[in-house]
Amino acid sequence: MANKHYAMVIDLNTCVGCNACMAACAIENQTPVWDNKWRTYVHDIEIGNTDELVRRRFFPRLCNHCDNPPCQSVCPTGATHKLDNGIVLVDDEMCMGCRACALACPYDARYDVTSHDVEEGKKFFGELTHRSRPSVDKCSFCAHRVMQGQKPACVETCVGSARMFGDLNDPKDEVSKLVASGVAKPLMAHLGTRPNVYYISDIERST
Amino acid sequence: MDGMFYSTQNVWTWWIALYLFLGGLGGAVVVVTCLTDIYIKKHKQLVIWGNISALIMLSVGSLMLFLHLLDPWAVIHVLNPMVLINKPDAWISWGTQFIIWMIVWSMVYTLPYLLESAFWKKMPLVGSILGAFTWLGNLSEKFHKTIGWLAIINAAGTVAYTGLLLQSFPAVALWHNPGVPLLFMVSAFSTAMAFLLLVLYLAINDKEDATLRVFYERTDVILIAVELLIIFVFFHFTTYGLESARYTAGILWNDMGWIVGFLAFGLIVPFLIEFRGVTKGWNSPVPIVLAAIMVLSGGYLLRHYFMYAGVYERPYPAMNSIMQHSQSEHTPTVSARQGY
Amino acid sequence: MAWNFPKLSRRTFLKSTGAGAAGLTLLKTNTLLSQQSLKNVDKEDVSYTICNFCSSLCNVKVTSRTTNGVKRIVKLDGNPHSTLNRGKLCARGQAGIRQTYDTDRFKKPLIRVEGSKRGEWNFREASWEEAWEYIAKKNKSADIQPWEWTLIGGWTSCIFYMNWSVPFAVCNGIPNIVASPMQHCVTTGHLGTDSVPGNFNVHDEILPDYDNAKYIIYVANNSSIAGVSTSRAVRFTQGKKNGAKVVVLDPRVSETGAKADERVAIRPGTDLDFCLAMLREMLDKKMYDAEFLRIHSNMPFLVYKGDGGKWHIAKNEKGHFVTIRDGSQDYHIVPAYTNNNRPNVNGEKFCSALYAPEGTIIPEGFEGAGKPAVTVLQAQLEDINHCTPEWAEKTTGIAAERILRITHEFATTRPSLIDPGWHGARFANVMMVRRVQAMIQALNGGIDKKGGWIMSGEFHHKLAKQVEAKQKGQTLGAPMATYTGMDFALFVVKAFSSGETFQPHGRPGWAWVYSAQQKAEGKQGVALPVLADEGLKESVEGKVKWKGKPYLTKAFFINAANPVRHYYPDTYWKDIMASDKIELVVALDVLPSDTTPYADVILPHSTYLERYEPTVYGNGVNQDLAMTTRYAAIDPLYDSREIPDILLKFTEIFGGKETAFDKLSGTMEALAGLPAAPTKAAWERFKKDPKEKNPFTAACREVAFVEAAKKVHTTVEEFDRVLREKGIYHEESWEDILKHQGMPRKLPTPTASGRIEFYSSLFDMLGGNKPGALPHFSVLATHIAAECRKGKTMDQPLDKDEFYFAYGKVPTVSYASTNSNNPVLAAINIFKKDIYTGVWMHPDRAAQLGLQTGDKINLTNTLSGQQADGRTYVTRLVRSDTLFIPSAFGVENPQLTRSYAMGGTATNKLIPHNVEPVVAGFRSQEFTLRVAKA
Ligand SMILES: Nc1nc2c(c(=O)[nH]1)N[C@H]1C(S)=C(S)[C@@H](COP(=O)(O)OP(=O)(O)OC[C@H]3O[C@@H](n4cnc5c(=O)[nH]c(N)nc54)[C@H](O)[C@@H]3O)O[C@H]1N2
Ligand SMILES: Nc1nc2c(c(=O)[nH]1)N[C@H]1C(S)=C(S)[C@@H](COP(=O)(O)OP(=O)(O)OC[C@H]3O[C@@H](n4cnc5c(=O)[nH]c(N)nc54)[C@H](O)[C@@H]3O)O[C@H]1N2
Ligand code: SF4
Ligand code: SF4
Ligand code: SF4
Ligand code: SF4
Ligand code: SF4
Ligand SMILES: [Mo]
Repeated sequence: MANKHYAMVIDLNTCVGCNACMAACAIENQTPVWDNKWRTYVHDIEIGNTDELVRRRFFPRLCNHCDNPPCQSVCPTGATHKLDNGIVLVDDEMCMGCRACALACPYDARYDVTSHDVEEGKKFFGELTHRSRPSVDKCSFCAHRVMQGQKPACVETCVGSARMFGDLNDPKDEVSKLVASGVAKPLMAHLGTRPNVYYISDIERST
Repeated sequence: MDGMFYSTQNVWTWWIALYLFLGGLGGAVVVVTCLTDIYIKKHKQLVIWGNISALIMLSVGSLMLFLHLLDPWAVIHVLNPMVLINKPDAWISWGTQFIIWMIVWSMVYTLPYLLESAFWKKMPLVGSILGAFTWLGNLSEKFHKTIGWLAIINAAGTVAYTGLLLQSFPAVALWHNPGVPLLFMVSAFSTAMAFLLLVLYLAINDKEDATLRVFYERTDVILIAVELLIIFVFFHFTTYGLESARYTAGILWNDMGWIVGFLAFGLIVPFLIEFRGVTKGWNSPVPIVLAAIMVLSGGYLLRHYFMYAGVYERPYPAMNSIMQHSQSEHTPTVSARQGY
Repeated sequence: MAWNFPKLSRRTFLKSTGAGAAGLTLLKTNTLLSQQSLKNVDKEDVSYTICNFCSSLCNVKVTSRTTNGVKRIVKLDGNPHSTLNRGKLCARGQAGIRQTYDTDRFKKPLIRVEGSKRGEWNFREASWEEAWEYIAKKNKSADIQPWEWTLIGGWTSCIFYMNWSVPFAVCNGIPNIVASPMQHCVTTGHLGTDSVPGNFNVHDEILPDYDNAKYIIYVANNSSIAGVSTSRAVRFTQGKKNGAKVVVLDPRVSETGAKADERVAIRPGTDLDFCLAMLREMLDKKMYDAEFLRIHSNMPFLVYKGDGGKWHIAKNEKGHFVTIRDGSQDYHIVPAYTNNNRPNVNGEKFCSALYAPEGTIIPEGFEGAGKPAVTVLQAQLEDINHCTPEWAEKTTGIAAERILRITHEFATTRPSLIDPGWHGARFANVMMVRRVQAMIQALNGGIDKKGGWIMSGEFHHKLAKQVEAKQKGQTLGAPMATYTGMDFALFVVKAFSSGETFQPHGRPGWAWVYSAQQKAEGKQGVALPVLADEGLKESVEGKVKWKGKPYLTKAFFINAANPVRHYYPDTYWKDIMASDKIELVVALDVLPSDTTPYADVILPHSTYLERYEPTVYGNGVNQDLAMTTRYAAIDPLYDSREIPDILLKFTEIFGGKETAFDKLSGTMEALAGLPAAPTKAAWERFKKDPKEKNPFTAACREVAFVEAAKKVHTTVEEFDRVLREKGIYHEESWEDILKHQGMPRKLPTPTASGRIEFYSSLFDMLGGNKPGALPHFSVLATHIAAECRKGKTMDQPLDKDEFYFAYGKVPTVSYASTNSNNPVLAAINIFKKDIYTGVWMHPDRAAQLGLQTGDKINLTNTLSGQQADGRTYVTRLVRSDTLFIPSAFGVENPQLTRSYAMGGTATNKLIPHNVEPVVAGFRSQEFTLRVAKA
């Protein structure tokens, strides 16, 4: 079977800014909420500077699992690595936390897991805490779920069905079709990162 | 256009700026002392002063970096030379190895001189350690030039690496361009000249070094001139360039630390002082010593401002470790900051 | 496609060039997988439950893992088998797991330390035995009579435990229940909506078919849709994907507004004007489904003007109505109760006229005989004929052409939908707004129809039985389990307003006594103070008189309610509870809400993930017919007890141990239909099990399962298996239900006439057509102006520092509830701090007042003088004449650590105790606010 090439499409038209994805991800992936650190964010942005034009946009974002990931090329330990299915991962056992990757990432996708976070995690998640070492962390596309045939936690619960997950190598996949059609576009593609998270822009409001 | 957000980072702050400064300076010092020793004039004092200082600079610099790590134990992965095979694309891999081997070879290179020196041999502890390495000192003497070159190559690598590292962060216009390694290289050598001038004037203070000092001053004048040229190019690049670069320009050209601290007192004033020294000469070493100190401060400020003014451009406000944890930037904007 | 990615990543490159690197790749994948999934995990379990953070009642899948013998819940997800929430959960639902593990939880019963005052946090831990003893002693020593107790319940106690609470109240002679959803949403909003199709139910019954609608109008909706009620949000966003055009009326850009194709920034309090203009235009231009109105509504019925110039519907002795045959002068008499006007009482099919010819009079044999008559439609149009778009433009601030365009788009798009709305209150006219919305929806026939309003599966199921019984002239037993719609509402009204229910003392609730007393004093009073707090203060103060003697309130049992945060104002409740006239306050909660410091005894309840419910429930507001319940995912972490057993214990304290069980269980059988005999047998059995802390709860559940299995003709084992495996017992899909139980096309509505009522029988019954009746009771839609300033209309200019006020929920907090303490939600709230906790102010006004985002401000209610503080959030997303304040924050109890740290404005410090006259709905926005820099 051909390799998978995982990608996410986010339809900004139906993201309702409910933050369920943030909550789901935080619990699934045990992100340090006590210190406000997340693998994914839903920004609440005001656009337009007249009362007629003003709009409120919800903008979910996460690691783009770039095909040309600068975070990986700068990583000296090899902790940041890319799987054949396109998922970019950080191995917390290898990561020394130099944060070169955080600077290299154009998308602000990475955050620090400090020793304090590891300690808090033990209190918060009990024996089932995932982390034993400090490291830099970021969205994993929920590789552990995806490889068991599930959808990422944020996609699974997305109330607006704004987040969609699929395989670009499968032409019949919905996500793959949306990407192929060109309605879904990646962020800041000019940087050469070749991101795998695509956005369908909000349709312009009629009034 | 939906609007973009522009923000700087606060992950790599002055700690790392200091590291980059000391790395560049230390590396360049080793290159200059070894080259001087091999090709211009055998100079025991210069080598000892230069290379021991470089050792201290790199130790301090690396310590800053080390303390900054989230998981310092995992540094083992980059200390292992295999890192060059596993992660040849990461400049930190190369940088770490350059630094290690630069220190090793520069120390081996210095060893014979240390063994000759009563001051070092009598020093408690150090003296006995040195004693234990007499064999290495002998060996080093035998292959002195080769070892010198090994030190030079690694030291030059260290110098180049500091700039290449910054250049490898593609999201920031200020960093991601070939000017950065060049600028950092020139600046590193300029500061190395300044540092060695201080050594020559204040520590060694040997009349016989007059020609060497003039040579260093000359070189430094040229380097500063080149640096000014590169800065001018950066001015153009940032001012008439990408939006994020324009934000960088907005930050730099509104900051007295950059304009007065770096540009005026870090480059132009020492340039003028040294230029006069080269053309007309000074009656006292004071102006050159002052100039050297200014160049060194300028060298740090350059890196400080490069870290500080690196601007990211994103369609959303920064939130992760790059920035603080609050939605602090309220309105996206597409117009560059005003004011210069 | 521009993005054809090269497949050769650095790592694959390394892999193909060196074995070492290849080894590394594999190794890493494995560590990662083992790390996040099943390291140290001995066992993984999946169980199903129902979310407890809002009355959307989403179905939840719970994943737990066991390590070293300790079972821990690790993840909640939407139940994928649920057609209600379609496998999704909102942020509150997702984060719900952290309520169970919240370190601030109550772990043992707490008893107030002697000498400390209510309001102070000064408690000692105690055993349940001690707590009961304390309550029993106090009840006795203070000689608290049954009617001197008031039960206060939140929506949790309403929805999940009504079948225990009400029989408990009845059997113990406690006529007083205050329930938090009533004055905010259930009675104020829903009763208005439901007076038209008659479908009143506690906590909602309509789940519109957004999936298939092509045009949707939302009026003052946000958290009920995108901000967020998951069951609605999933349909709403699907509708958007399917191309629906969405119009949102809101003075600020809410989450729902952000998704609108057209956002109408309407002035607060003027939605009625907008909706009336729509209604008038649609009637005037005949933009309606005439066939639907003729057959299924009372629009063609003849009305006449009685004394005082108010409309009366013409009825004869048998309650028949009269219409005119279209195109003729002939009268046709139609039955009193039916869903179909087409055959008249003689069985002749005919077509009734929506317009009666000029000169029509009421025929003989009917009330008002001989008087000039018009149809309901004509009367309605006459009453609101002045409500033109130009008229509405003045108050709403929305251009007349725009109102017209939206009306025409709505009326000419099929299927189009105007949402029923959810939260009521805010203004005295909101009940009327919701009524008019229902009328507009009915005009296009979009009731129980694809792309329109769809009634819940459970509602249809009950309605069918109720209609059948009515047609056979039978009365159904166990009214709480079998009645639906207006019949249910009227049953509740009757139960609490008449003293007969509460024996031996014969007192109705103090709210009803107070209301009668007010009327006797010539004051307005509240007509239907259903489970409302109107009169509570007066009762505590001894001002409510029953047969000449004070009708006192001396004790409270607060169950899953937080009146200090959720009622208005906070001081109303604080003062009452702190008063020395109150002898005993018992609170049952899971977390230290702002109300709990006012208790004498705090009882710890389990969280919803730790409990088995005592019964099987309908699937909430689901359009499909299905059943569900809760299975505990883990054993209770602390020493908590369940509600049925707690109520049984109270019953023992009130009336003696011997009779308690039979009394409570017997009343439950009569009212809610749970057979008493088998329950008792099971109870006796469970009591012998030392591990069973809640034998009554367990017994009820066992019997409820038997009953439910019977209903669906299966075995208990099979029923239980399906629920364990799927969390849902699916019975019938809505498309199938509509084919035989659609309302009003197949079944009569539960209004008095069985039709869609434009002329309201409910308000007729409440005397809405009596001379001098307030417009709030009007039998037809009418205008009621919002009065935010004494004697001023909404379009008159405001002072420089004066604003209208609007509040709403935030997507991450339930009401102003304790789940703002949830660490995951708290972190999101910090991330969105300005937006979620700030006072939204338009930049033009902020500039005038010299304010910037983050500035501290003081807010003053210009009518009541109440004050609160807050921080400005300067944004163009709100009208310049309005302040929007999220009402989720402002917690004062430091025991609720994270909520307390959040700050925010407690909106209920600004809202006075000021209610409308029909059901005591809070006029919680009917004033203006003054802003000053702090
Ligand atoms: N400020 C403000 N007030 C409002 C509203 C608003 O938006 N803002 N909305 C209004 C509306 S529409 C409604 S429906 C009402 C709802 O008001 P409530 O029904 O009172 O709402 P909740 O906060 O869910 O429940 C109240 C208490 O129940 C506790 N609780 C939670 N889970 C459990 C449990 O499992 N068992 C027990 N025993 N207790 C539990 C909580 O800790 C809380 O103290 O609020 C109304 N009041
Ligand atoms: N996040 C969250 N969601 C919930 C709940 C919850 O507690 N939290 N609870 C559930 C329950 S019980 C209920 S009752 C529903 C309530 O759901 P909704 O009825 O939708 O209630 P709110 O979100 O309080 O208010 C809706 C909107 O009304 C706007 N508004 C205020 N005044 C006016 C006005 O005069 N005119 C117009 N047109 N708009 C106005 C506000 O700006 C706000 O955006 O939510 C349900 N969903
Ligand atoms: S869960 Fe979906 S709809 Fe909700 S905020 Fe996240 S992306 Fe948007
Ligand atoms: S922080 Fe960790 S993952 Fe990032 S570059 Fe450094 S070692 Fe690699
Ligand atoms: S988004 Fe950032 S962290 Fe993610 S793969 Fe791309 S560069 Fe790396
Ligand atoms: S894919 Fe997984 S890790 Fe990434 S944001 Fe979604 S839930 Fe978080
Ligand atoms: S909408 Fe959210 S809080 Fe309400 S029941 Fe559903 S998941 Fe729970
Ligand atoms: Mo509600």
